Amino acid sequence: MPASGRSSASKLMTEREAIARFVNDGDTIYCGFTTVPLGLTYEIIRQRKRRLKAVGASNVLGASLLALAGCVDRMETGYVSGALFNGPIAEMMRDGRLRYEDYSNLTITLRFMAGALGMPFIPANSFLGTDYLDPDVMGHEHGLAADRRRVDGTTAPNYLVMDSPFAQGEKTVLYPPLKPDAAIFHCQRADEDGNVQAWGPLADSKWALWASKRVIVSAEEIVPASVVRSDPGQTILPGFRVSAVVHNPWGAHPGPVTGYYERDRNLFAKAGQPFRDWETAERFLADWVYGPDDRAAYVEQYRERFGSGLLESLRVANPVAPERPVRYGRR
Amino acid sequence: MSTGAPETDLGYELVDMMCIAAAREIEDGDAVLVGMGPPLLVCSIAKLVTAPRMAFVTESGPMDWEPPADGRRAPSQIADPILTEGSAMVGDMVDVLGAFVMGGNADAAVLQGAQIDRFGNLNTLLIGSYAAPRRRFPGAGGNVDTGASAKRVITTMPLEPRRFVARVDFRTTAAYIDGPGARKRAGLRPQGPNACVTTKCVFRFDTPDGGETGTCEMVLDGLFEGITVEDVLEIVPWELKVAGEIEQIPPPTEAELAAINSLDADREHRVPGRYS
Repeated sequence: MPASGRSSASKLMTEREAIARFVNDGDTIYCGFTTVPLGLTYEIIRQRKRRLKAVGASNVLGASLLALAGCVDRMETGYVSGALFNGPIAEMMRDGRLRYEDYSNLTITLRFMAGALGMPFIPANSFLGTDYLDPDVMGHEHGLAADRRRVDGTTAPNYLVMDSPFAQGEKTVLYPPLKPDAAIFHCQRADEDGNVQAWGPLADSKWALWASKRVIVSAEEIVPASVVRSDPGQTILPGFRVSAVVHNPWGAHPGPVTGYYERDRNLFAKAGQPFRDWETAERFLADWVYGPDDRAAYVEQYRERFGSGLLESLRVANPVAPERPVRYGRR
Repeated sequence: MSTGAPETDLGYELVDMMCIAAAREIEDGDAVLVGMGPPLLVCSIAKLVTAPRMAFVTESGPMDWEPPADGRRAPSQIADPILTEGSAMVGDMVDVLGAFVMGGNADAAVLQGAQIDRFGNLNTLLIGSYAAPRRRFPGAGGNVDTGASAKRVITTMPLEPRRFVARVDFRTTAAYIDGPGARKRAGLRPQGPNACVTTKCVFRFDTPDGGETGTCEMVLDGLFEGITVEDVLEIVPWELKVAGEIEQIPPPTEAELAAINSLDADREHRVPGRYS
């Protein structure tokens, strides 16, 4: 790739090719947060990737579906979607099939930042005064620290309290950097060079993408490079850090995409809440994940079952455009 | 499940009063970190009725959100797309939980957890022991980071025996930890005055300086209409401190009731048993 970062070949490909080429068994993977890349997630399930570790400030719908489907067996996160139902996810956390380290939204985000910036660790005060610093928590039997001791022979803790070397009496907690092997992400628009334009709350996404070795992006719209370059302020990651771009309209459904569509409460109400019990989980996966070949087929299936009207009713009715578009240029 | 019908003859439910009383704790002009669940409704009420100049901030990135003039509803979660339209800034978690909260800029935070203890610490992670939990909840999200650094924390917590415990099963969110001086010893800045607003009463904490002195224990300070001190004492399992003079919390105003019922028309935020 030339130094300008502009590849000669388009990075646009199908979700099948993108996942086959850039997600491997055993990878540590980031699966989005405020916008959930469910088209890409379902393709990972269909390709039966195994032994993935899902990392993210909050592991929302996608990561927990990957765990239900047997793709993810480890997590480092501040939130595990689906655990509230006290069904399969909680069961797997209890019996050790899903091992985990508990963090918080800020500590995981900062760990991504450390990974992105090449820092050896990053300090934060988040765990001070809490039970996260209890040695039993750091080394519990279902935890990843226990694995690291067993497999890697390391005695390094997950995190460490230290006194500030600069301000007397101040304490902080040091956290290790987090560098995913792969990230999947869904955004409003991208171009064929892989430039990612996303707006709305980004949570941990920008730092997770910068920290990841391989980035796979799906987008509601693929736009010409000239559109991206006319408004570079919306770009959260430059194309030279992106491995693959997938065109996936409705790529976050039933989750929302700012400016495109709202959360769809109908799907789980009609198809069953997959985190409630194994039977519903398996039925949901068979019907909505393994059934359709790709996201386009999934959308078609939804239209056939529930009607196009229901899907269309989710669209943002009156998109808000900036009252005064930003101006760029030169004298 | 709630039927939507008032459970009392007061014309409102006690959970409505919890949200409204918590909204009154926010001072106009406060910059507030708004947590998941009922706090989203609490702060939407404050924004519409009692503290229109507060800055409404959620951990996913939106800062100083202005509810839209038409079709007003409370955000359903901390990254609801409704939070983008009308915000002064939409950033990310480093902006919000980092610069805003850890940087010491959050005047207040409104949080809910599964359990609270006599020193105001919250648990949003699990019931039982860490190694063998009887129940796992989704997790603490940003409550951990917020408890460490917000200048003041307002907690909403239905007054139920399973939620009020002498010591939380897992301390995810530090308030006064285990008593006076504990925040400082742990390396945290002072915090307060904190409040815990329940479905029957308001608790405050016995410390004049954010955790340095005083007992730092929860004190029964205000009662909702129709509730007695005994109603509260029978739920709280430790020897609860009771203020010498207990405030009678005024019932909801018409404006507050109108706001809560339009912001949460389907009572999504007022489901009994919902923990966060």
